[in-house]
Amino acid sequence: MGSQTGAALHKHTLLWFIVAMKCVSALGCGPHYEYAIEEFCLAKFRLDMQELDQRQWCSWEDTVEIYGDLTNCTYLVALKMECFWPNRLVDEFFIRVHKRYFHDCSLSGRLLRDPPNHILGPFIVVPILVTLLMTALVVWRSKRSEGIM
Amino acid sequence: QWFRHPETNEAWTNYTLCAFSTNEKAKLKSVYILFYMAIVGHALSIASLLISLTIFFSFRSLSCQRITLHKNLFCSYVLNSALTIISLVAVVNNPEVVSKNPVGCKVLHFFHMYMLGCNYFWMLCEGIYLHTLIVVAVFAEEQHLHWYYLLGWGFPLIPASIHAVARKKYFDDNCWMSVETHLLYAVHGPIVAALLVNLFFLLNIIRVLVTKLRDTHQAESNMYMKAVRATLILVPLLGIQFVIFPWRPENRLAGEVYEYIMHILMHYQGLLVATIFCFFNGEVQAALKRQWTQYKTQWGQRRKDHCSMRSTSYTATSISEVPTFMYHHDCNSEHLNGRHAEDSERVALKSGETYA
Repeated sequence: MGSQTGAALHKHTLLWFIVAMKCVSALGCGPHYEYAIEEFCLAKFRLDMQELDQRQWCSWEDTVEIYGDLTNCTYLVALKMECFWPNRLVDEFFIRVHKRYFHDCSLSGRLLRDPPNHILGPFIVVPILVTLLMTALVVWRSKRSEGIM
Repeated sequence: QWFRHPETNEAWTNYTLCAFSTNEKAKLKSVYILFYMAIVGHALSIASLLISLTIFFSFRSLSCQRITLHKNLFCSYVLNSALTIISLVAVVNNPEVVSKNPVGCKVLHFFHMYMLGCNYFWMLCEGIYLHTLIVVAVFAEEQHLHWYYLLGWGFPLIPASIHAVARKKYFDDNCWMSVETHLLYAVHGPIVAALLVNLFFLLNIIRVLVTKLRDTHQAESNMYMKAVRATLILVPLLGIQFVIFPWRPENRLAGEVYEYIMHILMHYQGLLVATIFCFFNGEVQAALKRQWTQYKTQWGQRRKDHCSMRSTSYTATSISEVPTFMYHHDCNSEHLNGRHAEDSERVALKSGETYA
């Protein structure tokens, strides 16, 4: 609830700020844009991530909405400031966000990968060997039931 | 120095090439065609397999051990096709279910892998049965089928369970839909092993039959050869999909052709099995022809009864003249074991030598 009213408040301040900025300078895509996204988008992102347990920061299911909100926010600000999106400032912004929040996530955390070979190997070889053993067992038993060995 | 937008001279990168290209629509269309092809294939397979099962169950004269194995094989194919259709319609075509990721869809995937294993292990059972029959012991009693049931229905649980455990621990994607993982080989590996063993047994049978052809029992070799022929055609056809699976061509047109061929090989298997083991079976065809002539004469009799009564004697004799001996392709060997033999071939074999 608190975050919802906070978000509404943020939106209003943002709009007022943008209007003010447009009066100040025609080109909003320099440091003004950077300031805007840091002030509004990053602040909300920070609040949302603080609500999460720090151990959950690397979990994609828990952070996907928050991350999506941040991306949308930077897009809206760029629209309002008539910047092209994405741009270099947004790239650098996200690199900073990743350095701060996702730096110690494992490589496989967000992308599913096969386990290493020393684990994958047995999982494949053992069923094959069991198959061959079972086949040999069935052949041997059917031979025996014939009375010929 | 960053690339600059040509008009506003801002730092800018051109991402438009990553956007939705015209190729996508054609690709989407072909994916849908393949999807419907798969469903049609499995539906046809189920229909033909059910027809074959009714034929096998209703004609008591056909039943013998080999036909029992056929019945089990057909059952596993029917279940496999049913599960595939369910999983295609309910999971693959349904992104909401995939994103919700319920446990049910993983259970469905487990049973799907189990049924796939059952298919190929029942084919292996057919091969082992023929091998035991022809190469190992020709004149022995009827085999005990318990071990075949164990191999065909029980054993495939093991690769399916190993795959499920490994997938849960190491590659737990939504609904286990991804095929990009090597953990699938935990199921496909044993299947390929079963096919190779099967092929080895069948080639061994051919070797035995061909070498014995030089002896006097050419007729029996011929009989056995016909029994083996069906299985020998099927095993490579079922296996070829695993051989060409890794070799997807890069070229767009060749890639599409590859996809269509793979889909036909994978999804029309039940139809192929039913056709080769049942509809092309000489014994089944003979039984069906006899039944048809019986019906025709019965209808003829009814019509003649309406018209006159003198023809009852004609129809009675014509029914008794329907040939009573049957040329058993598949079940010949069982009939050699302790049953009355009226055929000259069987008499010759009884007095003759043993194989292997």
